[in-house]
Amino acid sequence: MIKIAQLSCGTEYSGIQKEINKAAETFGAEMVLPDVNLDEIDEAYEKFGLGCASSSLKLMIARAMSLVEGKNEADAVFICTCFRCAEAAIARNEVRRLIQNNTDLPVVTYSFTEKTKASELYIRMEALTTVVARKSILAREKQEGLTLGIDSGSTTTKVALMENNEVIGTGWVPTGDILGCARDGINQALEGTGYKYEDIEAVGTTGYGRITIGKELHAKLIQEELSVNSKGAVFLADAQKGEATVLDIGGMDNKVITVNNGIPDNFTMGGICAGASGRFLDMTSGRLGCDITELGPLARQGNYKNATLNSYCIVFGIQDLVTSLAGGAKRSDVASAACYSVAEQVYEQQLQEIDVREPLIQVGGTSLIGGLVDAVQDILGGIDIIVPEYSQFIGAVGAALLVSGLKDTDVDDSLKF
Amino acid sequence: MSKKENNDFDQEFCHIPKGDEYVVSDQVGKITRMVVLGPTCSVSSKEMFNFIHLLELPINVRLTCYGVNLNGYPEDVNEAIEKARALDPNHIFIKIRGFPPGDPRRCRARRGGAREGFHQVEAEYKLLNDVSYALEHPKHVSLEKPKKIPVEEFEDIVNEVNSK
Amino acid sequence: MQVAIFPPNSMILADMIQRKGHTPLVVQHQMKNKVTSAEIDAPPFNITEEGPIEGLKYAAIEVPSGVRGRMSLFGPLIEAAEAAIIMENAPYGFGCVGCHRSSELTVFSLRRKDIPILELEYPTSRDETIEMVYKINTFLDKLNGDEDDD
Repeated sequence: MIKIAQLSCGTEYSGIQKEINKAAETFGAEMVLPDVNLDEIDEAYEKFGLGCASSSLKLMIARAMSLVEGKNEADAVFICTCFRCAEAAIARNEVRRLIQNNTDLPVVTYSFTEKTKASELYIRMEALTTVVARKSILAREKQEGLTLGIDSGSTTTKVALMENNEVIGTGWVPTGDILGCARDGINQALEGTGYKYEDIEAVGTTGYGRITIGKELHAKLIQEELSVNSKGAVFLADAQKGEATVLDIGGMDNKVITVNNGIPDNFTMGGICAGASGRFLDMTSGRLGCDITELGPLARQGNYKNATLNSYCIVFGIQDLVTSLAGGAKRSDVASAACYSVAEQVYEQQLQEIDVREPLIQVGGTSLIGGLVDAVQDILGGIDIIVPEYSQFIGAVGAALLVSGLKDTDVDDSLKF
Repeated sequence: MSKKENNDFDQEFCHIPKGDEYVVSDQVGKITRMVVLGPTCSVSSKEMFNFIHLLELPINVRLTCYGVNLNGYPEDVNEAIEKARALDPNHIFIKIRGFPPGDPRRCRARRGGAREGFHQVEAEYKLLNDVSYALEHPKHVSLEKPKKIPVEEFEDIVNEVNSK
Repeated sequence: MQVAIFPPNSMILADMIQRKGHTPLVVQHQMKNKVTSAEIDAPPFNITEEGPIEGLKYAAIEVPSGVRGRMSLFGPLIEAAEAAIIMENAPYGFGCVGCHRSSELTVFSLRRKDIPILELEYPTSRDETIEMVYKINTFLDKLNGDEDDD
């Protein structure tokens, strides 16, 4: 049984403790509270040096210190506090740093409301237990041999073929029939490389369709996307050590993952509104009569302040753009305004919920739209942003990288499902 | 519903056998009180435990490191704590507890950390010696907040200190 | 009289009040009702999503869920209070008083009521502890209408 130490404030009074326990149990783990006595609380809290008015936060700090000092044992750490509590947000981040800087325990953080349900915690608990169980696999920083990674997403299936630490082929297919799309993607990736499918030493899968494809192709690695995407992003961005944030503004939803030494420790996902997604930019390029690939360079020539965009909504926002164009606004200004609108909305809906760390690695198809990257950078106060080569293939690259460590082992995830 | 798996020892304090399995519905209408013996109490935990047993009331009694825990219907528990306190009124204190004794949801052995209420007792226990003294020497005092001294007086004091 | 206390789980304050024949309004009563309710199974306290929602009566929706969940426990005590003893700067206070914001709101809500209130500082010495007990007992005797000095 994997023991997850809980460092928290407010879970019981928010009525979500049961949900946390349930989420942990689903992945074969149990929540434990590091035991500390009263004298240790004051001592640890003073030693740590962060002033907290709330004693539950002092207790959280003391429990963290007891893990660091080896007085209590655990396999992983879950740090969570109430959403919108400033005092707790500061303590949560500093405790996370304390654990990460002084132990090699995997950490996941979360800020919850009373509406938090076990299902929202599943992907975090799965990532945490995966990191515990696959520590040696995740430590891999170099790809070896000839391996293939498949990221079966809800909108597109991405494939990456890697050889000796280089991407040598890629495939990109809109997802329909899961297995058929995977085959098409694999054929695209192999094309022109001189290799046949039989030459591939190992296959790794991730994304929504990972189990179906993984079973069919006897994939040695079948792993959730949080840890695989993080690994792929830091590998491509050459940011494997230290902190980073991975931002994926997708066609339908958006993901933000914070990463420490290549291992994910927090995550937010959203995208109920198409106005905050790549779809909005796709529609904008349609209205401007340009290809989506031209939107970024066009936006870079314009100034968003010269175009009126009062609504974030995909319907009213597009109408605003049309009105702006009719009123004589330049196409480049409108393109810039559209990029700003999406970036602002991603900030308001998601980036505010998470401690964004430099560098920010922007990935996914939208990362190729230069105007959007500029807008994100501007909104985040000039933060250092890296858009790595193959940024739209991070999941597939991550899977190909990680599975290369398994190619000569007996590990076979396809037998697990 | 949670059930205890290990019935051999009270894992919360490791003193006495746990007894029957804890069942939530058995607790309807019942209350829990902790009889806390101050540092200079003339009665020991064990003596208190035996004393309450000999009252033959239909209550559940548990020995703990700071005294005893009582659980049962209010009239029985209140009768027991009244008689218990009478043994040494100025050194015996009563704490109201929300959780029934040995509740697996709050048990240290199950979750790792102690109940928050345990830290509370740990801290308040340190004051009990002085509280007992005050109870032994009762007195009424003024509840008025001390008034701030007039500016003139403050000035005089400052001058006096400076001239030294 | 029903006397609210702060910290609402203090053993010493509740004990003093009982000795003088009053009823201490302690959070453990609330907790007991929660944890012995057979219909809900949400360990450890049986506080569910409903707790923070009930807490909306005492704190706005923008206030963190942990504060509102706690206020759903403290609120009924504040409403029932006919007198109150508030001890500030208590070094302990975990669990239900573990959140300083909730504590501030509770103390403020008590002060805003038109009831007799005794405000104390947590003692830092033997003399202060003894003085604290004297003040509590004087206050409680006054509530009884008994102001005779010993």
